[in-house]
Amino acid sequence: MALAGLAAVAVSVVAISAEAAAPKYGPRDIFDTWIGVGGMEGAAFKNEPWPTHPEFTEWGKAASDKAASTDTQLHECFPWTPAGFMGGNGLFPIQIMPARNSIVMLYEAMVSPRRIYTDGRKHPPADEILPTFLGHSIAHWEGDTLVIDTVGHNGQARPINGYVSGAVNSGVETNPRLVASDQLHVVERIRLVQNGTYLEDAITVEDPKVYKKGFTVKKYFQRRPELEFNEYVCDFNRRPDAEGQTDVAAQ
Amino acid sequence: MKAYLIAAAVALVAAPAAAHHSFAMFDLTKDVAVSGTIKEVQFTNPHVWFQVMAPDGTGKDVEWSIEAGAPGMLLRTGWKPNTVKAGDKVSLVMHPAKSGKPTGSLVTMKVPDGRTLGPGGAPKAE
Repeated sequence: MALAGLAAVAVSVVAISAEAAAPKYGPRDIFDTWIGVGGMEGAAFKNEPWPTHPEFTEWGKAASDKAASTDTQLHECFPWTPAGFMGGNGLFPIQIMPARNSIVMLYEAMVSPRRIYTDGRKHPPADEILPTFLGHSIAHWEGDTLVIDTVGHNGQARPINGYVSGAVNSGVETNPRLVASDQLHVVERIRLVQNGTYLEDAITVEDPKVYKKGFTVKKYFQRRPELEFNEYVCDFNRRPDAEGQTDVAAQ
Repeated sequence: MKAYLIAAAVALVAAPAAAHHSFAMFDLTKDVAVSGTIKEVQFTNPHVWFQVMAPDGTGKDVEWSIEAGAPGMLLRTGWKPNTVKAGDKVSLVMHPAKSGKPTGSLVTMKVPDGRTLGPGGAPKAE
């Protein structure tokens, strides 16, 4: 009897140990609320910076300079490309959700969601694609890495690394504006790291109209399911009376 | 205007690094302290604004417009929409407008419950 009791205790201890050892997140469990580590104190990872000396084409250099000038054609409230969406800043969270035929990603700073098809479809032919800010995205899993391929951009999105006009002399950003054209092609390799508590997105940007050579940077997000997602509307209380916006293109 | 600038110090203080809008109109190399009374809080998108009445040193009040980050950024860094209300006394530090107008971007604000809060930024890591 006593032996049987001991055995039961032993079994339960083993069971508890096994439960404790079980990973909390599966290797593809990316579906959660995340926030970029940019500016985050105590984060386990650091974002790789966007290139500060990209190899621009002549067209790309002119477009970059224009985006940084006060006569840029880009509206400050325009959405980003997928690269900017996944830029890893700590100011606005992202949310990744599964749907039957796709993965949907929300970014608090943007109204439009990303829709990333995972049902095996291909991109539409180049001459049939509807150019958009976020483009057309398809994805598949390679092991535990989600590979996302995006084309079909409209060339009107805000620069990949942030602001349009006023940025260069703001003191906040002194790097050239990384603009994107309608030839932008973004490939992302997303995987969980640090036992699933962080998400890594290796973002490869190719745009032969703007850059002679593509570039890849890794951005990181911390899993933060407790964060609330807030509504964000760029074109609301912009307060030009108080010099609260510099949207030169909209004036 | 200089009369009610209680303190001005040159400091390279990091602005909200990837904040939504450019802060080019503010002199990010200057920190200026202002103490006054909240007239109105606009806890709105895309950025939060505080209207603050502060004496100008000649017996008159000047209305300052102080810009902070997006509402979500403030909510994730200790603020609530009612953390400060009309009538509250506050002291704050801001980057002033380059134009000299009574407007600035918030650096810190000492709020009625005793905390000193920032302009909204990244939350700390968990």
